[in-house]
Amino acid sequence: MQPGIVRRWVVMLTTALCVVACSERPQDPFYESGIIYCSESNPVNFNPQLDTSGTTADATSHQVYGRLLDFAADSGRIVPSLASSWKVSADGLTYTFQLRKGVSFHTTDYFTPSRPFNADDVLFSINRWRLPTHPYHGVSGGRYPYFESLGLAENIAAVNRVNGYRIEIILNRRDSSFLANLATDFSIILSAEYAQHLQNMGTPERIDHYPIGTGPYKFNSYRKDHFIRYQRHDEHWQNQPSAARLIYDITPKSSLRLAKLITGECDAIAFPAQTELDIIRERENLLLAEKPGLNIGFWAFNTQRPPFDNPDVRRALAFAIDKNTLLEAVYFGSASRAKTLLPAASWAYQGDADDTAYNPVLARKLLDDAGIEPGFTMTIWAMPVERAYNPNAAKMAELIQRYLADVGIRATIVSYDWTTFRRHLREGLHDSVLIGWSADNGDPDNFYRPLLSCGAIPSGTNRAMWCNEDYDELLNEALQTEDIVRRKAIYQQVNRLLYERLPLVPLAHAYRYRAYRDELDGMLINPYGGVRFGGVTKAL
Amino acid sequence: MPQFSLYEEEYHPSPLKRTWIEFRNSHIAVVGLVVLAGLLLFSLFAPFLAPYDPLAQNIDGLLIPPSWTVNGSISHLFGTDALGRDVFSRIIYGCRVTLGSSILLVLLAMLIGVTIGTVAGVMQGVRSSVINHLLDALMAIPTLLIAIIIVAIVGTGLVNSMWAITLALIPQFIHHTRSFVRAEMKKEYILASRLDGATNRQLFFNSILPNMIEMLVVQGTLALSIAVIDISALGFLNLGAQPPLPELGAILADGLDVAYLAPWNVALPGLTIFVMVLAINIVGDGLRSALRKRLVR
Amino acid sequence: MINVLTRYLTLFVLTLLVLAALSFSLAYLFPGDVLTNLTGLTPQNDMQREALARQYKLDQPYVVQFYHYLGQLLSGNWGHSFISGLPLREEIGIAMPATIELATYAMLIALIVGVPVGYYAGMRSYTPIDHTINSVSLFSYSFPVFWLALLFILVFSLELGIAPLSGRVSLLFDIPDATGFILLDILLAEDIDKGLALSDALHHMALPTLAIAIITTAAMIRMTRRSVIDVLGRPYITAARSRGLSRWQIFSRHIVRNALLPILPLMAIQITTLITNAMIVETLFSWPGIGNWLIQAIYQRDYPALRVGMLAVSTLVITLTILVDLFNRLIDPSREKYERATV
Repeated sequence: MQPGIVRRWVVMLTTALCVVACSERPQDPFYESGIIYCSESNPVNFNPQLDTSGTTADATSHQVYGRLLDFAADSGRIVPSLASSWKVSADGLTYTFQLRKGVSFHTTDYFTPSRPFNADDVLFSINRWRLPTHPYHGVSGGRYPYFESLGLAENIAAVNRVNGYRIEIILNRRDSSFLANLATDFSIILSAEYAQHLQNMGTPERIDHYPIGTGPYKFNSYRKDHFIRYQRHDEHWQNQPSAARLIYDITPKSSLRLAKLITGECDAIAFPAQTELDIIRERENLLLAEKPGLNIGFWAFNTQRPPFDNPDVRRALAFAIDKNTLLEAVYFGSASRAKTLLPAASWAYQGDADDTAYNPVLARKLLDDAGIEPGFTMTIWAMPVERAYNPNAAKMAELIQRYLADVGIRATIVSYDWTTFRRHLREGLHDSVLIGWSADNGDPDNFYRPLLSCGAIPSGTNRAMWCNEDYDELLNEALQTEDIVRRKAIYQQVNRLLYERLPLVPLAHAYRYRAYRDELDGMLINPYGGVRFGGVTKAL
Repeated sequence: MPQFSLYEEEYHPSPLKRTWIEFRNSHIAVVGLVVLAGLLLFSLFAPFLAPYDPLAQNIDGLLIPPSWTVNGSISHLFGTDALGRDVFSRIIYGCRVTLGSSILLVLLAMLIGVTIGTVAGVMQGVRSSVINHLLDALMAIPTLLIAIIIVAIVGTGLVNSMWAITLALIPQFIHHTRSFVRAEMKKEYILASRLDGATNRQLFFNSILPNMIEMLVVQGTLALSIAVIDISALGFLNLGAQPPLPELGAILADGLDVAYLAPWNVALPGLTIFVMVLAINIVGDGLRSALRKRLVR
Repeated sequence: MINVLTRYLTLFVLTLLVLAALSFSLAYLFPGDVLTNLTGLTPQNDMQREALARQYKLDQPYVVQFYHYLGQLLSGNWGHSFISGLPLREEIGIAMPATIELATYAMLIALIVGVPVGYYAGMRSYTPIDHTINSVSLFSYSFPVFWLALLFILVFSLELGIAPLSGRVSLLFDIPDATGFILLDILLAEDIDKGLALSDALHHMALPTLAIAIITTAAMIRMTRRSVIDVLGRPYITAARSRGLSRWQIFSRHIVRNALLPILPLMAIQITTLITNAMIVETLFSWPGIGNWLIQAIYQRDYPALRVGMLAVSTLVITLTILVDLFNRLIDPSREKYERATV
């Protein structure tokens, strides 16, 4: 072989490769034109009315849609949105909303609206989930879980169009959480004109997959497990400066999301894992937004099984565990200790509520008094999935197992796959279970009612199978008044009752995290509900 | 020969011995063999060598860095993982699972492959040709694909992934055995045996098999390196060994979640697989060149 | 010539038939409902179920069913994915080119780098430089591809930040799937800054391609080197040398061609390894290829997708293998067919 040929050829090749690969990453202004958000999963569809999962809400409610009311990002107070003002009648049964004028729906390649937003759209949006007879009620399955779980449809007597820009809603019973419910991620406004158009075309189900709304971004395309593309809605009524493009990069693995955030392939990521928070805090170009989560992780006893029907036994078990250690080992400090069902983010939070303290001696004494011999065996069910409110139930169960052993109770840990697990729970086969709850708005009723009311036993959210008439009565009473101070007082009574009866031991309120690069400007963390990209821009 | 010989006696080492002498002359090959022997020792005596139970979790010692780093502790040589398990112990057991299952499956594939290959080598005619053609074509289907299908039918697990890899390795043993038997059948010493009245069975066990052993060892090391890579790849993809079973690929996949926080959880199991495969390849390479040199001289 | 072609064609068709039969039997072997496994549709009621069963001739003997299945495959009706509900042909049509593209670039690098280096090492056999090349290639050849890819990510993406770690191109570029090959698609796309997009795509491509290419290149070097050494030992080389030909003449006239011939069938084996490695690397780099797609399908137990995906991948691999074999046989009829050397 001729000398030198190989060497020259190697040099040439390396140079060629380097030209394309070794150069610095591009910093073209083009990369400022869009925001990439790495989300954790696929949305079920593009209509949050149909689904309570946070993923669907994150992907749609604040991007594509608008609501009559909104929660202010800083204070969490209810503020006007598509309704510019509202009025509540003296009896608390009639709500009148003045609608904003000149709000335009999205113009896309699949639909061109001919008129701006008006009362018809509100009527359509509410009646779709409210009236079983509505032509769109049965489209896409016909289940509206959020509204069903609160019994909202039954409580609304009528929704009337007063004129093109004014509507009134009449309730059967007073409901002081009604406005909050209208501001949640699920109470979005659809386009009645688009629905009519689709019905004429014979494809009504497209309304939930090719969405049209009034939000700051309009839908462009979606590929499952890959991405969702949105474009800026240039005629958005708030007229905020937003990035021209918004892309959801669907990345289920949290470690991969973090890696992409570090390399700049994502500008913001959903739910970094607890163990990764320090990495984000250490890096100067990454910002971590934490919000107190509207959730609770708890340890519920099956109050229909002896000896757990005895409040003293439940109290004894509560005294046997050290909540702070659990918090440290399972949440790595990313949760606050729960005293009651309500997290501090709720306006009805009671800071001075009674709480059980670690006291194994007292626990043993209570057990002896209740006639529980040392060597008593029980089961702890640990949910098999990771949730913000309990990222590692199995680990927590092992820790509790150790604490119970100290007071002479032998605990066995039980787990099934998630579906079977929930079915067996509903059947009440457990002695105790480690599980939790994520609420949809800050209203206390959203915690107390689904978790422990008698009516929640058949629907399967009352894991303690606990039914107490005094408790239910107090909850109903609290909904009868708009007076915050009065309501707070009632919920303090509820807390006292729960502390005495202790159907479940509240353990932790986990923080919810989002991380983003400092190139993003205008990111606000919404304490209630989904992520918002309206008004967010990027500058490299 | 190192030993001093008083008489000028002519020394004729057996072919196997000659191969070994050639092999021994290559230092790299010997190092490879020693490393491989070490890994085999790990596999055989894992319970005695591992300082901790590979499954024992320890909440008080999560993600301790390896002992040579500033924050490391000597009590955990390679540090601990996200559940506080000792990485060194897990890797020792990992060698056992990964290398052990690979050796088992290679032996199984060899047994089946040689059996079918011999039959195919003796058999002639159109039928054999069609089967051979098909076999050759199907041999091209990637192991990963076979594994995915087996997992879909019977579920995940180390044993299932072993089946998949065995299936994928069999054709190459068949192929080599068939060519070998074919070539050998034409040789004169076989003809001589035949004339002596040896049956096919006798021919195979007394004449062909002894000659085939070298080929099988070489093919076996090749197959072993593929098997180790495939077993750990399937474990890594969560299609093979399931956590908490300490299989090197599965350990690596476990470490992936904390890759940025605790890179040793990814680096060390991977390094072990790499060293294992490298040692096998070096030994295989050494064997082949030793054979080649023996034949040339 | 015609004879050879016919034989290969028969072999090809026969193999595909076996694969199709395998794929068909999977519908029965997989857990769950045969009809669902076959179509990807879940019938809502008995009437729908019966209609579907009749359409797929499930009431008739297996042979008829299989015949019908073949017809469906050929007409492009491959069923639907369980999970996404999309037609499988469409999904595979998007995923397959991505894998082919990745594998092709890796193979190109392996050929451009591996073969010349192999020749060089072979010509300088048993010199220190040959030993170095040989050791390095043995070293690279022993890398588990998934670990190599991870190291690349840790070093180049996370530490140095010079290459992105996921996907084919930044999602900010909205590039329509015209051919499925990203570089071509970028050239065909409108309304984008093509230069910027190409550079972006190349950055994305660098790490996964390199991870696969390193292993394939090592294999290429070893095969070529071995082949050259074998050729060097042949009598005609000695003859050429005795006639006084220079090294360069010997190399260009005798060695290049003769050493290349035995490598070709080996490349057929490399195709399998290459595609397997590409499939594994895809999952690490979130490359939207068929490997990533199949592994997602198995995680979600999407049986219809697995049934067709398996058929598609094995068809691809076998087609390539047979083509390489055929090519080899056409240019060198003297060789015994399927002669293989070792890596």
